[in-house]
Amino acid sequence: MTDIDMVEIINSKTILSYKGPFYIELISVFGTNIRNFNDIYSNARKKLFKIFIELSQNVSNYSENFHMVNNVQRIGVGELFLKEFDTAYSFTTINQVKKTDAAILAERCEIVNASDQLKLRELKREQRLNSPGEKFGARIGLIQAVMLSRNHLEYKVENINENFSYFSLTVKIDKY
Amino acid sequence: MENIILTSSPSTPYFPEVNFDIDKGVCEISGESYMEETYKFYLPLINWLKDYVKLIKKPLELNIKLIYLNTSSTKCVLDILEILKDFEDDSGQVKVNWYYDKSDPDMVDEVEDFEAESGIKIELKEF
Repeated sequence: MTDIDMVEIINSKTILSYKGPFYIELISVFGTNIRNFNDIYSNARKKLFKIFIELSQNVSNYSENFHMVNNVQRIGVGELFLKEFDTAYSFTTINQVKKTDAAILAERCEIVNASDQLKLRELKREQRLNSPGEKFGARIGLIQAVMLSRNHLEYKVENINENFSYFSLTVKIDKY
Repeated sequence: MENIILTSSPSTPYFPEVNFDIDKGVCEISGESYMEETYKFYLPLINWLKDYVKLIKKPLELNIKLIYLNTSSTKCVLDILEILKDFEDDSGQVKVNWYYDKSDPDMVDEVEDFEAESGIKIELKEF
């Protein structure tokens, strides 16, 4: 769970919210704005940009709800919310996953949350070396998000029907 | 074999600039790297390096000047470093320089991980 309490939620400011296909062109424009929207908290915004790109591309690559472009390219559909609190930013993605994958993802989040920085680095190296590569990428996005933010992943699974669920993932990035 | 020159465009900042020069034996990747279908972008670069170490066999310098690379790109960069490590183990001369912004300490950790995973020495240099 994140450490953001109810008072902070009420006082939070939505910087960005979006629902639709996660085209790279959009991700890039959103990301550039996140990085450049002001001059303060520059270190936090660098981390936020990296986490934003990583988790948005997870939605783009793996969402079970997707658009086909020219019958060739598969673009995942989902939602994102970026909020600003007094002491932190919070970034959330929501997308459709197979129920079986939701369980795997939840387990991965638990493993990552239970690991300290040293263990995460070890997991990252191991996972990247053993990843089949090509279309599968490095499979270290969740590990990277926690290593960068130094906060736990908050996840929720909501069932849609007997085959699919919504998977929501939130990462808090401290400003200081 | 031909040189590879890919220039960057403000409308597609997620593609890096690439300059692989056979005559100079210098390869450079700069900018940012977080495109879709990462492997499709990097495969020609990987194949070029495989050909270079097999056919040209001259000393090779790799300069990486990436401000940001996503985790999919890190997998491809690791593939590149592994090719160079094999070349070095086979008596090839290799130099790898990684330029980084000193205000981004996370990149230093990333480079240390690349060194550990590939086994090749990487020289860290500030922009």
